[in-house]
Amino acid sequence: MKKLKSVGIYTFLSIAALVSIFPFLWMVVSMTNKSVDVTKGRLLPGRHLIENLNVLFESVNMVTALVNSTIIALITTFLTLLIGSLAGYGFEIYRTPGKDKVFNILLLSMMIPFAAIMIPLYRIFGRLSSTVPFLGIDTLAAVILPTVITAFFIFLFRQNTKMFAKELVEAGRIDGLSELGIFFRIYVPTMKTTYAAAAIIAFMNSWNNYLWPLVVLQSPEKQTIPLLISNLGAGYTPNFGVIMTAIVIGTLPTAVVFFVMQKYFVEGMMGSVKG
Amino acid sequence: MSKVVKRANQPYTINLKSTGSRLKKNYIGWLFILIATAGICIFYFYPMVQALLLSFQSGMGANLEYVGLDNYVRLFKDPTFIAALRNTFIYLLIQVPLMIILALFLSVLLNNATLKFKGFFRTAIFLPCVTSLVAYAVLFKYLFGEKGLINQFLLNLSIISQPLNWLSDPLLAKITIIIAITWRWTGYNMIFYLSALQNIDKSMYEAAEIDGASSLQQFFYITVPMLKPIILFTSIISTIGTLQIFDEIMNITNGGPGNATLSISMYIYNLSFEYSPDFGYAATVSYVIVILVVLLSLIQFKVAGDKK
Amino acid sequence: MMRFSQLRVWLLVVAVVTVLALAACSSDETGGGEAEPDKITAWAWDPYFNIAALEIAKESYGNKLELDVIENAQDDIVQKLNTGLSSGSMKGMPNIVLIEDQRAQGFLQSYPDAFFPIDEYFNLDDFAPYKLEPTSFDGKQYGLPFDTGVTGLFFRTDYLKEAGYTKEDLTNITWERYIEIGKDVKAKTGKDMITLDPNDLGIIRVMIQSAGSWYMKEDGKTVNLVDNEPLRKAFENYKAMMEADFVKANSDWSQFIAAFNSGDVATVPSGNWIAPSIEAEESQAGKWAVAPIPKLDIEGSVNASNQGGSSFYVLNIPGKEKAAEFLGKTFGSNKDFYQNLVVEVGALGTYTPASDGEAYQTENEFFGGQSVISDFSKWMEEIPSVNYGLHTYAIEDILAAEMQNYLKGKSLDDVLADAQAQAEAQLK
Repeated sequence: MKKLKSVGIYTFLSIAALVSIFPFLWMVVSMTNKSVDVTKGRLLPGRHLIENLNVLFESVNMVTALVNSTIIALITTFLTLLIGSLAGYGFEIYRTPGKDKVFNILLLSMMIPFAAIMIPLYRIFGRLSSTVPFLGIDTLAAVILPTVITAFFIFLFRQNTKMFAKELVEAGRIDGLSELGIFFRIYVPTMKTTYAAAAIIAFMNSWNNYLWPLVVLQSPEKQTIPLLISNLGAGYTPNFGVIMTAIVIGTLPTAVVFFVMQKYFVEGMMGSVKG
Repeated sequence: MSKVVKRANQPYTINLKSTGSRLKKNYIGWLFILIATAGICIFYFYPMVQALLLSFQSGMGANLEYVGLDNYVRLFKDPTFIAALRNTFIYLLIQVPLMIILALFLSVLLNNATLKFKGFFRTAIFLPCVTSLVAYAVLFKYLFGEKGLINQFLLNLSIISQPLNWLSDPLLAKITIIIAITWRWTGYNMIFYLSALQNIDKSMYEAAEIDGASSLQQFFYITVPMLKPIILFTSIISTIGTLQIFDEIMNITNGGPGNATLSISMYIYNLSFEYSPDFGYAATVSYVIVILVVLLSLIQFKVAGDKK
Repeated sequence: MMRFSQLRVWLLVVAVVTVLALAACSSDETGGGEAEPDKITAWAWDPYFNIAALEIAKESYGNKLELDVIENAQDDIVQKLNTGLSSGSMKGMPNIVLIEDQRAQGFLQSYPDAFFPIDEYFNLDDFAPYKLEPTSFDGKQYGLPFDTGVTGLFFRTDYLKEAGYTKEDLTNITWERYIEIGKDVKAKTGKDMITLDPNDLGIIRVMIQSAGSWYMKEDGKTVNLVDNEPLRKAFENYKAMMEADFVKANSDWSQFIAAFNSGDVATVPSGNWIAPSIEAEESQAGKWAVAPIPKLDIEGSVNASNQGGSSFYVLNIPGKEKAAEFLGKTFGSNKDFYQNLVVEVGALGTYTPASDGEAYQTENEFFGGQSVISDFSKWMEEIPSVNYGLHTYAIEDILAAEMQNYLKGKSLDDVLADAQAQAEAQLK
């Protein structure tokens, strides 16, 4: 009976993994094919990988885009986690009816489609351009700023804080830690798995963010990966082999971040098993 | 880590504090939320108020003029909007529960301490949500094309006798979209559950095991109640996400055939960029999403009984 | 000690937030009186076509201008332009932008002061008239016409021969005749005649423009569906094709290209810009030719039409004279430049004096030695001029939905009447 169950579990997970991963196999195979074969849906590897890589790195500024995306994503992830967890912690630990009201109002900001606030937001940064140029249109700061402060992460951290043992805060106070000290020395290490999950999501969101960088960035030397891929797909005769190569390279960093971060899930589990 | 978890489980009675100290804590609490609150006011609420003002205006591009509630009246007579609203609700009602249950199920399986190849399964199931949209679009159109792999697979198994028109039949196109959304976002939701599962004290399961509870019972009586805050979180996030669903539609069916897969966000996009731009009416349609999300979130909070 | 450092942290936080809030809410500084920039920027899409054309133009201008060509996908340009122009601040907007002809009126009328008229910078008579109508507004010329989008009927000579047809049999035919040939080709070779995307009515637009008709009346504003005879005819042809069972369905650009690259279809009626995609499958060299596009079986329809094509616009910001001058001296009047364009990019412009140039006569071996460019530029001059008006894509979405109903058996009268009513309700 037990054996049967575990066979069932492995079969189910294998199917799920296969379904999830199939497109990636296809993308990796397509990297090695020329455009015509990709559109025909060829499933066998070809011999055009080097050619595709050459086109990509010679005619398109792939390296610049990778650097820009990396800078933006790292800064965004760090600030998002810091600001989001501070606020999520603040709302739950120092819970008062007043703060609950503020929290509910903040949640509203998630509910409007980005397209609707994009134009007013652009106007804000247009104004910043003349007062504080380093925050204005066509700066990496303008890409980062509106995305690091989101109700989503405040909400995420608050919900997770609900499962955090609040007695630890009191214990910290008795130990003579300041409020900020409690946050950094007790809360942050305890919530490692939540931070890992949030980091994955924040990095991924930033890495794949499209619409806002598109409108706020202008110069080619500030281009990010999604914009570059979008450009490759434009025109009367897109080269799908090159596009697939760009996509695989552009996807790798997110996959790596996930790989690194999921270590913390495993660690977290081992810790609690031991305890 | 283990030390902290242990300490967390000890019963602890909160000391009654003096009022003065409590006021100070309250004031520090506000400081914790200050940056976030100010940022959201500047980067979200201010633009949202602007968008609200826009929703009372109409006209092409920069030639906007105030029309009062005309846009809101127009909504109810606009067959395209009604089609988009209906489609969006179909996605919401079918797709969100499907995905939440699947993600929960997968995360519990993957949280099993004795499971092998955990890292591989986790990564594989998470990967779809990092896919670039271009790849996603090319791929799904190719998989679900008339001679695509899905049809070939079903034909070979003799489940169907002739190829299905996944993308050009109104019903099948909706199913394709639902499959696509589920494929892309299940792993994403799974991450939240996996990380939250770490916070559940393992001794609760051990105690249940001793009491002879089956894994199904453990799931419903321990896992689900403990994960409630996160399940609520993901349900609301997914509801918002599905009400705003855009990428999948834009890239896979572009709203077609006819308006069969058009979503509200896709319609907003069309009104703003694809057609001669009417940002006023587009803002009105956006506020419909806001109102819907607020209502649905309230219902979800109520159902989850969060208001203690 | 601890307390003090904590206080500093909070003070810093408050300071940052205040600065941000103040900066964001500070008033707009007027953009007037800005100095003329040293650099001119241009936005365009497609590195192998439009971008390449701009680079060649820059060269033929003797590199006298510091021109920064910025590549963006077409949809991306539409979004960026709309966001920027409607926000009222012209910050970050380019000097020159490429806009698709069918969208041009939308931009020109939505943002009336945003574009700079360029009548004085080139001679309008040198350009095909069908290209001037959509690029001008209110009596002023705003666009410098670029690529043509002239259509042709690309076909596989080997398949047609197998079915017993020669190039003459496909020249100057009607769509009805095309459908008959298609049935025959399918019966004799087993190959589909055409590939179509049910969500894209591009072929309908090609058909109606050949009769000088559009979704809008000549004013560009009045919806013109219900009593539109060419449109009615086009719908009938479309349904006849679907029922003839020789249509290979595709659902996106890559599948569209794959359909002919893999040899599954016998003909591709399309704008001339599809040629490089057809030529990409080298193994099919010598097996293709181009005939004039079929016409509608009604009075006034000709064997020439248009699909796609775009033009350059100058934005009304500092540097506009420089930008207009550059366009005028290159795209607007340089015959040699157009020869280079054909040779190096394969792009066919609408500058008529260029058509007797040498490069236009080149025989293309892929198309069996046919002088493709020369043929296209001949057909180009016959394209009927129409006003695309404002709402081409909005109406097309309505029509695409109604087309589905028509195919399912709804009567054509009802289909067009319903589409008309919906369009009028939506576009008032």
